[in-house]
Amino acid sequence: MAVTQLGSKLFLAAFFATSLTCTRATFAQAYSSSDATSEFTVASLPDAPSALLEQQQQPSQSQPQQQPPAQKPTEPSLSDLGLSNKPDPDLQARLDRHTQMLKIHQRLGLITLAPLAAACISSAAAPPDPRNGGGNTVGRDIHVGLGSLSVVMYGLTASYAIRAPKIPEGPVKGGIKIHKYLIWIHAPGMVLTPILGAMAFSQANNGEKVHGIASAHAAVAWTTVASYTAAIVAVSWPIKL
Amino acid sequence: MKITLLATLLLFSPLAFTQSPETWLLTQSTLSYHMSHPVHQVDGFSHGARGKGVCDAGTCEFLVAAPVKSFDSGDTNRDEHMIQVTRGADFPVVSVRFRLPESAINSPTLDCDLDVQFAGNTAHYTHIVFQQTIQGNTHHITGTVPSTLTDFKIPPPSFLTVPIKNEIPVKVDSTWQRQ
Repeated sequence: MAVTQLGSKLFLAAFFATSLTCTRATFAQAYSSSDATSEFTVASLPDAPSALLEQQQQPSQSQPQQQPPAQKPTEPSLSDLGLSNKPDPDLQARLDRHTQMLKIHQRLGLITLAPLAAACISSAAAPPDPRNGGGNTVGRDIHVGLGSLSVVMYGLTASYAIRAPKIPEGPVKGGIKIHKYLIWIHAPGMVLTPILGAMAFSQANNGEKVHGIASAHAAVAWTTVASYTAAIVAVSWPIKL
Repeated sequence: MKITLLATLLLFSPLAFTQSPETWLLTQSTLSYHMSHPVHQVDGFSHGARGKGVCDAGTCEFLVAAPVKSFDSGDTNRDEHMIQVTRGADFPVVSVRFRLPESAINSPTLDCDLDVQFAGNTAHYTHIVFQQTIQGNTHHITGTVPSTLTDFKIPPPSFLTVPIKNEIPVKVDSTWQRQ
């Protein structure tokens, strides 16, 4: 009987001790989650003036701040959501380089349109006279010069896109998809056009009528220019696919 | 008798009065930003946001976050540029924190002060009003955050040397569930 009474007393003592601990914990939680209490507590600390001043200096309307506010224990965190804000400086550097090189690619691509258009216009003076095989040799030389400049500029433009760091991405979407498909037309065209042009030039200079595969020079050139222009429009025009 | 006394004490102990914090989870969401340029009007969507709310001591703390790369404007090139210009690799998550009094949780409109962390900067937006419809335990919340590029010190991307507009409003359409 005495043992039972002692056991009951011990149990009650342990119970009240537990209750007291829980009460203190609950109080501490309420204490930490109350703003007014927190400010009072912070103000009573030695380093409080600087903390309060920092709070007062924070603008209230749409002002970006570098330091995020301190997180309270009850606030959800990114880890609760299964997300991480871990930076990837290497990827950021590659993105910066990627953008920088593609901007140059874009500028050079637009600049290349000028010699390309000029080469197209000057092509009118390039063919030999069908009656005697002669014709405007100066006009032909100008066309050859502009065509060569176009090819060099095109190569330079392409090199910036090719050398740009690759960014891991999913399936390609939007205008860039067409831009990339059109490479399969204008890139071979840019190789083939000067070759056919050189053959045509040689035949014309020999007083021959342009014949054989060289006679496709103009058609290949126009197809190349058309696909090149379409490639620019594809990434410039508001097209959604 | 003693057992009854003990049971009574346990029942009315502070342990019995201690309530676990109420939790809210974001179950479905669409965040969309709108970008304006003289020749382009673009909307980028994200369905990858996650959110959680904890209500304790009369106050509910909410956090909504989405990976920057989860925004899809329908153009891979543009999205890559967006990630680059917003420093999405250095700061891969855009997060929004806000606090509501627990008593306001069921209001048809929610007046929120938002702390938005994006591109390495935090912008504070006051009195942003969201509309709410409630069906049982499910709360559907919609609204728009009037964010701008300058709020986050983002250099405006340009096209044909013309920069995009500074205003990038973000529409929020979210469904929350009380756990």
